[in-house]
Amino acid sequence: MKKILIKDFGSDDEVLSPLNPEDLLPIPGENLEDIKFKKIKPETLAKYDFSLDGFSALSLPIPQTKEEEEAIVNSFLKGLEKLFVKENNWGFLQPSVLSTEYCMQCNTCNEACPIYVESGRKDIYRPNFRPEVLRRIYKRYFSTSGKLLGKWVGADLELNWRVVYHLAELVYRCTICRRCASVCPIGVDNALLSRELRKIFSQEMGIAPENVHRSGSMQHLRVGSSTGMNPVAFKDSIEFIEDIIEEKIGRRITIPVDKEGADILLIHNAGEYVSWPENPAAFAILFEAAGLNWTLSSDSMGYEGVNYGVWYDDVQFARVALGQIKAAKKLGVKKIVVGECGHATKALVSIADRLAVGDLAIPREGCLPLLESIVTSGKIKFDPSRNNFPVTLHDPCNMVRLMGIISPQRNILKHIMAPGMFREMPNCGVDNYCCGGGSGFAVMNTQNFPNWRDNLASRHKARQVLEAFKDCLDPSIPKYYCAPCSNCKGAARDSLIEHFGFREKYNIIYAGLVELMVNAMVDIPEPFISWEEEF
Amino acid sequence: MSFIAVEGKQVELDEDGFLVEPSDWNEAIVSIFAKSEDVEELTEEHWKVINYLREYFKKFGMAPMVRKMCKDTGLTLKQIYELFPTGPAKGACKLAGLPKPTGCV
Repeated sequence: MKKILIKDFGSDDEVLSPLNPEDLLPIPGENLEDIKFKKIKPETLAKYDFSLDGFSALSLPIPQTKEEEEAIVNSFLKGLEKLFVKENNWGFLQPSVLSTEYCMQCNTCNEACPIYVESGRKDIYRPNFRPEVLRRIYKRYFSTSGKLLGKWVGADLELNWRVVYHLAELVYRCTICRRCASVCPIGVDNALLSRELRKIFSQEMGIAPENVHRSGSMQHLRVGSSTGMNPVAFKDSIEFIEDIIEEKIGRRITIPVDKEGADILLIHNAGEYVSWPENPAAFAILFEAAGLNWTLSSDSMGYEGVNYGVWYDDVQFARVALGQIKAAKKLGVKKIVVGECGHATKALVSIADRLAVGDLAIPREGCLPLLESIVTSGKIKFDPSRNNFPVTLHDPCNMVRLMGIISPQRNILKHIMAPGMFREMPNCGVDNYCCGGGSGFAVMNTQNFPNWRDNLASRHKARQVLEAFKDCLDPSIPKYYCAPCSNCKGAARDSLIEHFGFREKYNIIYAGLVELMVNAMVDIPEPFISWEEEF
Repeated sequence: MSFIAVEGKQVELDEDGFLVEPSDWNEAIVSIFAKSEDVEELTEEHWKVINYLREYFKKFGMAPMVRKMCKDTGLTLKQIYELFPTGPAKGACKLAGLPKPTGCV
């Protein structure tokens, strides 16, 4: 395998570091020869840049003139300068500066990165490769010694448009799972630098994935959700979810919407309403049974919990977070609880601390501790013998590694699972692996990027799931992959189920935690979870 | 992005072949899309689904959840797949002229 040096990052190879199916590390039962990547049409290749690894997340148009090439370099440098100035980086200045300045190049993080390892250890995917590109550019163009002495002081990477484009694509080959940061002996956060570089591309250069920006956060701000769901469609969905509940449990529940002064405003990832309506249905059943004083909001900023800005753009982040907080304020609720979505939880509970001060300060929390308190309060009777099938638990990176929410979900499982049926995956808890859909990947579906994601980013998760169920892979045994996060469910569907075929081969289904809870409720006559198509 | 000629007019498609402008939709487009989505012959049942999707989109600005589509049309998911082999989101929605689904769906 060709070694890629950082100083050669702007080379004009047709593809700098091609990824081929045979490079991947196979999972048990997989034949790499069966993997086919989408063929890109010659006219598409002529128009857009695929030269990093043969994939395109951004559909970057190839510059046609010298002026266009220079404009790419200049605008990148302008953005880079802003990244390290307090007035222009209110988000993450200190950790960005420290992570840029203090890496010791020990490369302990390499083996922690599932993408690097599963790719057959390709240099460009090392967690420290892209930060090192950043460091050398910064040194070359913004330090006195680098400007004068260049390669003699390690500032050996000359900028051209290819460096900028390669770097733009490369920051979308990192799921920002932050496993690298968790093993760094001195706490350098190379994943944060992926995110901060995305900010230069978006805020300074207008470069961002179509599904994350234009049809993502822009659509969210325009109509109320990145799914395109407006408040009228939201209310229609709620009515339909009430129908589903009635079908499932034999009685109707009225889901509270816009209830002023409620204790809790529950905000789901709106993708749940569209793709996994049983999840918000299960929340409603549990909250009603537990006697909570709660509500949903039909305000155009009150029913979509995601904040795609957290992946790539501080301005978009602030717009969405402020809208969500204001929607809660308008209803006069005591606190916001975010449903089963890792990014939404991180964005609104942790990162929004930067904004939610003064009048905007309102308590905000993830749903898992609240769900645990429902179980331990004794208000709902559970019969663990109803969950008499093997279950493994996925740890969403943002809730678990970033926020440290580790034991509530496990304590819940202790109360609702038949003995011996719950099994941890290898590397569980803070040591978990990303589902492969992190940092926007689950929604990015342009060009051939889904091939890269389903084959490489989710590969280690597939390996872990097989390992967790290795004693019961026989398809006559129904199995449940519990992923309490919408984004992780999207990745499970696209990669584990559709790409790797786990449902067909092994009878593994995936869904959230609340569905398992409702499935064990004594008051529910029929099982809530089914391995058959129900409709 | 690409274009197809429909009844003398250039219609813009996205890279997966969905209409960029839902208002460009007409019945001629359905026959063209049917070929690329493995629909051999358009039957009354196909039109029931297509008309339902268009009505829903007109009212709510997005595609319905699959479960709702099944309930409202009286078809099972299996029957929908038999009608539209590439699935409800990719096949049926494309023929009905709806944009490609977005967001965490």
